[in-house]
Amino acid sequence: MAGTFSFTLVTPTGVVAEGQAEEVSAIGPLGEFGVLPDHINFITSLVPGVLEARLPDGVAMHWVVSGGLAEVKDGVMTVLASSAESPDSIDANTAAAQVQQADEIFSNLSFYDPEYAPAQEALMLARARVEAAALKPAPR
Amino acid sequence: MASLKAIRRRISSAKSTQQITRALKLVSAARLRRAQEALTNSLPYSDALARVADSLLTSEGISVGPVENAQKRSMLVVVASDRGLAGGYNSYLLRAAEATRREIRAAGLEVELFAVGKKAVDHFKRSGVPVALSRVDNLPRLATIALARDIAARMLADYSSGAVDEAGIVYTHFQSALTQKPLYQRLLPVKPPGDAGAPDGASVAAATSKSQAPQIEAPQIDYLVEPSRAELVPVVLRGYLEAAVYHALLEAEASEQGARMTAMDSATNNAGDMISSLTLEMNRARQAQITRELMDIVGGAEALR
Repeated sequence: MAGTFSFTLVTPTGVVAEGQAEEVSAIGPLGEFGVLPDHINFITSLVPGVLEARLPDGVAMHWVVSGGLAEVKDGVMTVLASSAESPDSIDANTAAAQVQQADEIFSNLSFYDPEYAPAQEALMLARARVEAAALKPAPR
Repeated sequence: MASLKAIRRRISSAKSTQQITRALKLVSAARLRRAQEALTNSLPYSDALARVADSLLTSEGISVGPVENAQKRSMLVVVASDRGLAGGYNSYLLRAAEATRREIRAAGLEVELFAVGKKAVDHFKRSGVPVALSRVDNLPRLATIALARDIAARMLADYSSGAVDEAGIVYTHFQSALTQKPLYQRLLPVKPPGDAGAPDGASVAAATSKSQAPQIEAPQIDYLVEPSRAELVPVVLRGYLEAAVYHALLEAEASEQGARMTAMDSATNNAGDMISSLTLEMNRARQAQITRELMDIVGGAEALR
C-alpha cells in the first residue's frame, strides 16, 4: 500500500513542515510508534526524540522534537511540538558535550527529586540531538 | 528676546533629539513587524492545540487540582516592558493591573503577584506592594518560549499543589499599532471548552483560537489515546497554558513596540514643530540685531556731522 496521508508539524513559532507523507515515526511515552495511511484516530504525547517523516519521493526528513502531542484524525496527522530542530542546525560535538553534561546531572538525582523528570527530559533531548546529528547527510 | 546664540543652541539640541526619536521609531517599527509576524506564526499551533484539547477535554471532567483546601489565593501575572519611552504603554497597563488586583481582592481572594518586566517590578516596588515572583530578562525580545514555559509551569505547579486556586494574566492586547488595550484574562481553572455559557469558559479558547465557536456541538470523535486519558490531560493542559501565555507575551511585545513607535513618531513631529518655531524666532532675533547695528552706524555718522 503506497498511499500517503497529510502531515503537519507545527511549533509555537510557526509551521515547520506541511505536506504528504508515506510514513511518520515518532517517540511516545510507550516507545516509538509509526503512522501509516488510514491510521486509527489517535492522540498521544511525545517525549523528546527524533521524528522521522518519509515523503512520497523516498526522502526522509528528520527533526528533533522536545516533546508535545501527536494527533491523527480522519487520516490527517498533526504533530504539535514544543520545538523542532532540523539536524542541519545541530553540531555533533556540542550535542555530545550536552549529553555528558545532562547525564552527569541526571545520574546524581534520586527518583524523588523534583528535578528528576526535567533532568531526564534534558538528557533524552540531548541524546536525540546526537542521534540527529549522525543523520545529517540526508539519507536518500 | 533670547540671544541669538542661545536660540541656536536650542535648535541644535532639538535637532539631535529628533534624530534619536526618529531612529527609535524606525527600530520599533522593525521590531513591531517582527512581533506581528511571530503573532501570526503562532496561530496554527494554538489553533491545532485548541482543537486537540477540545476533543480530549470535553470528554474529561478536567481533573487537575485544585483541591478543597485551596488557600483562597489568586496568582496574577503582570506583563509590562523592560524599557520606557513607550508613551502610556506601561502606565495604562499597570493601572489596569491595579484595578484587577482590587477586583480580585474584593472577591475575597488574596493576590499573589508575578511581575514580568522591569517596569512592572519597579512599579510595585515603588508603591510598596509585595511581589511574590518577578522576572526581568532584559532581552531585546520579550516573548520567548522559555519565558512562557516558565510562567506556565509556575502557574500549573502552584495551582495543582493548591497554593493558589486561580491564575490569570494582565497584558496589553494588540489591536493595531495605534490602539492597544490592557486586558485581564483568567487562565486557570480552565473551563471545559464545550461549556460556552460560562463567563470565563471561552477565554482560553478565545485566546488560542478564534475559530472555535461553530464547532462546539461537534460529535465526539473516538480516539485511541496513549498512554491514557488521565496521563494525557495534564500534558494537553500544560501545552494549552503555555500557548495561552506565549500568545499573551506576543501580544504584549507587539503592543509595546506599537506604543513606542507611535510615541516616537509624535516626539519626532513635536521636535520638528519646535525646530521650526525656534528657527522663526532665530530669524527675528537676527533681523533685530542687524537693525540695531545699522541704527548704531547711522547714529554714529549723524553724530560726527
